[in-house]
Amino acid sequence: MNGQDRLERGYRRLLAWYPRSFRRDSEDEIVAVLLATAEEDQQRVRLTEAADLIRGALRMRLRPACPPPRSVRGAVRLMCAGAGVQLAAAITMMVTAATVRAAVASQPGLAAVQRSQELSLLTFREIGAVLAVGVWLLTAWAISQGRDVARFSFSSFFVLITLTVLIGLAQHGASDAAADMIAGAAVWLIALAAMVLIFTRQSNRYYRQAVQPALNS
Amino acid sequence: MQEATFLILTALADSSQHGYGIIADVRQISGGRVKLRAGTLYTALDRLRTDGLVEVDREEIVEGRLRRYYRLTPTGTTVLAEEAVRLRANAAAALRRLDPGLAGGMA
Repeated sequence: MNGQDRLERGYRRLLAWYPRSFRRDSEDEIVAVLLATAEEDQQRVRLTEAADLIRGALRMRLRPACPPPRSVRGAVRLMCAGAGVQLAAAITMMVTAATVRAAVASQPGLAAVQRSQELSLLTFREIGAVLAVGVWLLTAWAISQGRDVARFSFSSFFVLITLTVLIGLAQHGASDAAADMIAGAAVWLIALAAMVLIFTRQSNRYYRQAVQPALNS
Repeated sequence: MQEATFLILTALADSSQHGYGIIADVRQISGGRVKLRAGTLYTALDRLRTDGLVEVDREEIVEGRLRRYYRLTPTGTTVLAEEAVRLRANAAAALRRLDPGLAGGMA
């Protein structure tokens, strides 16, 4: 194998990072340009070339197939805001965890079983709040990428948020901390607005278009 | 619009060019300051084709390798012209504030 063959093989190995449809269309052309711009005695891919090709591949894989409309961009912004509110709630829970646990432990009139249940519920809510931040962000990313399945995942998440808020109201009602009620209501309202935006006519059209290129890649 | 995108569109403004030609032209237009690499160029070209600003003009096989020529679409021409006017207005404003005498030299 001569130097140029080795170099070409190195370029093709890096181009394997690109989407298949793009490689089918442009790989030979890019290889020709890479070989034309290489140094005369170059036998190996330079680090700067490798970094450029990998960066290009990542950009191509991470960006949506077509630019999202205003409604989808708005929904993504709302989801990021939702993640922010959820993160603030999670941090508050972590900071106040010891105080709340101590209050539950010293609450008079609670049976040992009830106390244990209350403490387990607190742990469950803390873990749930942290996980919810991840779900908000992951869904926002998938929604911005034109992934139709993300709309239905978010719908399930919305149902879960609604149930959590309703259960919280039913169990604690007005006795629940005001901050908890406000955070819950804010998250639910943000989720509701994002739900409306991802199912507008404009969004439906975008997701129908976005599915086609995704199927070919 | 990113500078690389603007320079790629500028390279295609008066005639169609192939990938290597665009890289060389961008270098010349920018006075050697911008050295486009193939990964950057083809990622940008793919986006510009998707957005309808650039299209394939023709293809040739040279020494057994594919050479594809790109050209601006009418939309691409409009977008480039608008961006050039915007940049010129910004540059003129900057020069006016820095040195009122210099702004008079702008076309």
